[in-house]
Amino acid sequence: MIKINKLSKHYETTTALDNLSMNIGKGVIFGLLGPNGAGKTTLISILNGLCNFQSGTVEIFGLTLQNNLKEIRRRCTFIPQSLALYENLNVIENLRFFAGIQSISGTTLQRNIDYAISVNRLDGLLEQKAATLSGGQKRRLNIAIGLLNDPEILYFDEPTIGIDPESRIDILETIRSFKEDNKTVIYTSHYMEEIENICDEVAIINHGNIIRQGQIETILQESRDLSMSLESFFIHLTSKDNADA
Amino acid sequence: MQMLRAMLKKEFILILRDKQALAALFIMPAIFILIMSMALKDTFNSERSFVQYTVIDQDLSSISKQIVSALKKNRTLQLYKDTITDNQQLQNALNNDLHFALTIPKGYAAKFSHEESDILHLDVASDVKQDMLALFKGELAGIITRIHVQLLVKELEPMLPGLTEKADIAMQNATNSMEIHFNGLKPDQHPNSTQQSVPSWIVFAMFFIVIPMSTIFINERKQNTLLRMQAMNVSIPVLFAGKIVPYMLINQFQVWLMIAVGVFIVPLFGADALTLGNSLLGIVMVSTGLSLAAIGTAILIAVSVNSVEQATTIGGLINLLFGAIGGVMVPTFVMPQSMQNLSTISPMSWGLEGFLDIFLRNLGADAVILESLALAGFGIVLLLTAWAIFAHRTKNGL
Repeated sequence: MIKINKLSKHYETTTALDNLSMNIGKGVIFGLLGPNGAGKTTLISILNGLCNFQSGTVEIFGLTLQNNLKEIRRRCTFIPQSLALYENLNVIENLRFFAGIQSISGTTLQRNIDYAISVNRLDGLLEQKAATLSGGQKRRLNIAIGLLNDPEILYFDEPTIGIDPESRIDILETIRSFKEDNKTVIYTSHYMEEIENICDEVAIINHGNIIRQGQIETILQESRDLSMSLESFFIHLTSKDNADA
Repeated sequence: MQMLRAMLKKEFILILRDKQALAALFIMPAIFILIMSMALKDTFNSERSFVQYTVIDQDLSSISKQIVSALKKNRTLQLYKDTITDNQQLQNALNNDLHFALTIPKGYAAKFSHEESDILHLDVASDVKQDMLALFKGELAGIITRIHVQLLVKELEPMLPGLTEKADIAMQNATNSMEIHFNGLKPDQHPNSTQQSVPSWIVFAMFFIVIPMSTIFINERKQNTLLRMQAMNVSIPVLFAGKIVPYMLINQFQVWLMIAVGVFIVPLFGADALTLGNSLLGIVMVSTGLSLAAIGTAILIAVSVNSVEQATTIGGLINLLFGAIGGVMVPTFVMPQSMQNLSTISPMSWGLEGFLDIFLRNLGADAVILESLALAGFGIVLLLTAWAIFAHRTKNGL
């Protein structure tokens, strides 16, 4: 589904991604772990065509990213960490606007809006201004906007940051449900228990490179062998990598 | 097309729900037009006496009385309300609203026709401008000359019968010997404060879109809605078009609303109504050019700064500077030549000149082609610069 080969991205003084390679299969929930500045957001930005890169190749759906950006974007969605919506529009106006700019119309428009509303349980909030929604409801609207194009790949950048535990559980349930629809989810988070609960596979990134990648069960087993929680194991790996660097 | 339609609808909803922006775009300039038209109404009114003077007649002769009487006949001069009796009172009056105090010394008439005649004494308030002083001096010199001529004619009358009558006719003809015609106006029309203030505040109001427009844009950038739109295949040209079209329509609405205020509301408050000139096409051309210039400025600010606070500060400052230099706040014709030359760098002055060509000078669309093209070109250059900066910043995740 996603093939990344020797991907490098340098900013003026720093290296964000350094010869990074990975494959992500269809229908998996893939967790991207890493400390701040590890390169997670840069990687997601590149996969969405929002950021250029210096070397390497990226293939999504068997299509090279640079030459097929529009087509790839049409089949993917990016749900940013910040609430990328309009506070002064109500829920249905937000959904119609973001559907409109993707040229979704006719029966597809109504079907996709209905799907986004029902998955995120926004039914009773359609006429409510986004500014008046609770933090959790805004997060759900943020996700609903991302579902309007019925995407095959969903990129989530820290979707549960700053919300109450109940809303977080709600959102994790929603993300888990995408797996049943055979959608692929790329998920970044700082919360290890979230990664443990919903991800099938995990990659740990540090200094723009992958320091561990595999099935979540394999990674968890590795941490258990060292009598560590996933969080302690993550800190252990990144500290070791920092020391080696 | 559907993409652009969605962008336009969103932008209109956002602006219509922003009450402060609406007040700044529509109510503030309408109030300015009313205030400035009322405030400047008398400056353009030739019937109004705005020069305050008094005469301290120490001579009390027939000649001094003729001078007083002739001054009273001039409708641009107004006799000061209080009688001045001492020097302290004179100083106080000159420090307040008295402009000129003419003292006719005792014995003035006795020496009037002599070679070494007495001179009149004129006290002038320190804030009187040179043109006002010249006007008063000119009027006084004319009166004295007329009295001299009348005395001379009276002396010669026995030798030249009928001379007095001929001299009276000649002086009457001299007074009525000119017909005043303001350039571009009909023979019976004269410039008024509404013709001057409406174009100024239309131009200023149009540039006020810089603040709400850049605020919305920066909020979109900060909240990553622009990033999200980009990930949804919205290109920079479509994104910019989604801003340009609604704000051009808002600008057009501003122009016609302000014109309506000038035509229908201002007369209700006692000032002259705005007359539109002869070129609706010219108005549309200038306002379209101004729109592009204002929108280009707004988008360039929005993509260059990092916060709403920076945008409102810089946007506000640029508006004030463009306005001050461009003749919106102080008309360029009262500026010294060096400032008048400087004013030509402000796009607001190009727009203002364009509107004055139509409203004040009654010129047609062909007279405003240059101003309209300059404004449009200015706007397009700013938009292209904004495009380059925005593309660079988004590609580098800034």
